[in-house]
Amino acid sequence: MEAEFASSRYRMIMAARFTVGGFAREWGHCHLLANYLARYVSANEGDPERHATLLSTFINELLEVIYRNHAADGQIELIFRKRARHVILQITLPVTEQNRVFYRMAVQIVNQPDLKSWYRARLEDPADGEDTMLGLLELAAVYTCTLTISEPPGQDRLSLFLELPEVDDMGEV
Amino acid sequence: MSNSVAPASSGTPSSGVPPSCMPVALNMRLTGNEEQEVTLTGTLRPFVADEMASVRASLEQAARSARGTLCVNLKRLKYMNNVAFLELNRFVRWVAHARPDLRIKFVLSSVIPWAIRKFQVIAELYPAVTIEVYDKALYPTQPVLEDDEFITVLRMQEKLIWNHEQELLTQHGLRPGLRVADICCGLGCFDIFIQRDFRPEYLVGVDHSRPLLRYARQVVSDYGLENIEYQYGDAAALLLADNSFDFVACRLSLQIFHQPEKILHELVRICRPGGRIYITNEMLSCVVGYPNEELIQPGYKSFLQVSRQGGVDLDMGPKGRFLLQGAGLEDIKISQINISNTNSDPNELARVVELWIRVAWQFGAAAGADPSLHADVEKGLRAHMETILSDRGYAVWPIIAASGRKPFRTS
Repeated sequence: MEAEFASSRYRMIMAARFTVGGFAREWGHCHLLANYLARYVSANEGDPERHATLLSTFINELLEVIYRNHAADGQIELIFRKRARHVILQITLPVTEQNRVFYRMAVQIVNQPDLKSWYRARLEDPADGEDTMLGLLELAAVYTCTLTISEPPGQDRLSLFLELPEVDDMGEV
Repeated sequence: MSNSVAPASSGTPSSGVPPSCMPVALNMRLTGNEEQEVTLTGTLRPFVADEMASVRASLEQAARSARGTLCVNLKRLKYMNNVAFLELNRFVRWVAHARPDLRIKFVLSSVIPWAIRKFQVIAELYPAVTIEVYDKALYPTQPVLEDDEFITVLRMQEKLIWNHEQELLTQHGLRPGLRVADICCGLGCFDIFIQRDFRPEYLVGVDHSRPLLRYARQVVSDYGLENIEYQYGDAAALLLADNSFDFVACRLSLQIFHQPEKILHELVRICRPGGRIYITNEMLSCVVGYPNEELIQPGYKSFLQVSRQGGVDLDMGPKGRFLLQGAGLEDIKISQINISNTNSDPNELARVVELWIRVAWQFGAAAGADPSLHADVEKGLRAHMETILSDRGYAVWPIIAASGRKPFRTS
């Protein structure tokens, strides 16, 4: 995956790195970071405001999931790349074994053949309590984002790759 | 009837719960069968569903007393996370059990790019739920204004007007270095002229037409222009921040909306105290020309009649002062822009008038107007064209420019 992103088809837009401790100190960091990063990444788009509003939605859901599922120490790194009109977000984070299982399961569900039916069934019969995975799954089920995982062997870190749809596809149903 | 407004929640966390992110405003209006509405604006990104308790309670209160259809207006809810969405989904499930006779309508805007797909899922799940993309109904004349021929002539019209408007703008408070918003910017020609001649600190053009914005962006790209941002937006529900611009323009646009006061309210909201709002509108009842005066004025009278049937007021110009004063503005300034066949290129002016014949026909068809009215319009406007192109004739197209200052204190 990393090697593929190094190819010339992908254009680097920006990278950000911060500590887990600082990030996890406040829930509002998800919102603030999502809006800031989205606006930065969208700066050269034809309609930066619209692009940033949608991008913030996607980044925020991803950050909220990370906020709830990460190891206690280490660094989180976000890299934004672009291929044609698609933004690809790579997020690398420290994880516990429990977190690792969570992310593997999320990616497995996202890549099942009938994700939309699965997602609708969960909305029809919502589980009690918080379903912290559903936000991530919604990105794939509703907005056709793709989600993949990369786990370097022997490391307590993993990377998630979220490929986002074109903003122009989102206006109408 | 009940009417309550909950203040914006800052998300006060209980001990051990991370601070939330919910700068949301909730407004509830239950004033009859057709206006039962709960409006949520701002941001809904709670950490847990419990933080939505007050929103959920208000929604349930509204649902208990509503009849027929309850509208949940989200057209200015800019951000919402999945936690909040699931809570709205639970509310809909609750309604399905507690009030099976009640319908829920989510009112959305196409300007919020994540919203339609998200709520479409709920609409597919629950038969009592519908979604309404409200801004489609707000811009009924938009398709008339988007074809290639219209764009060509609109460019010509923009150039004709700019030649006379440029000097006026200084009198109305525009100067270099300001933050400028051009609402209903159309092709964006005005913004390009402004950028060239007034060098604003920041300039944003907002329009609800994707084809016109595509054209505007292409021009900016082709000429390598910088510092002009174009946004797809709804003039009646702008996403631009309160008090954030020094000069807010809305040109030849209030006249084509059937609810201009909604747009004016937004223009005032985004203008900073001390900044100015600048509007232009036509005055077609005062189009004059000689010779052919016996045909020209009745033609424009019929044009106005057809337009009004379609909710368009092409004689709004003289109402500018009244509108701006009504919006609470002070230091109102009024100017008249007289475009004539002697101070402008007569061929271009005639071409613009020729386009109006087609626009009138389309407005009339959309409004179901009497076809004989259109015959009167065509006769009058063709006579106007003849006068414009005549070496001995004189013909005028009047536009009224008006501006007002937003006061520092409102009573």
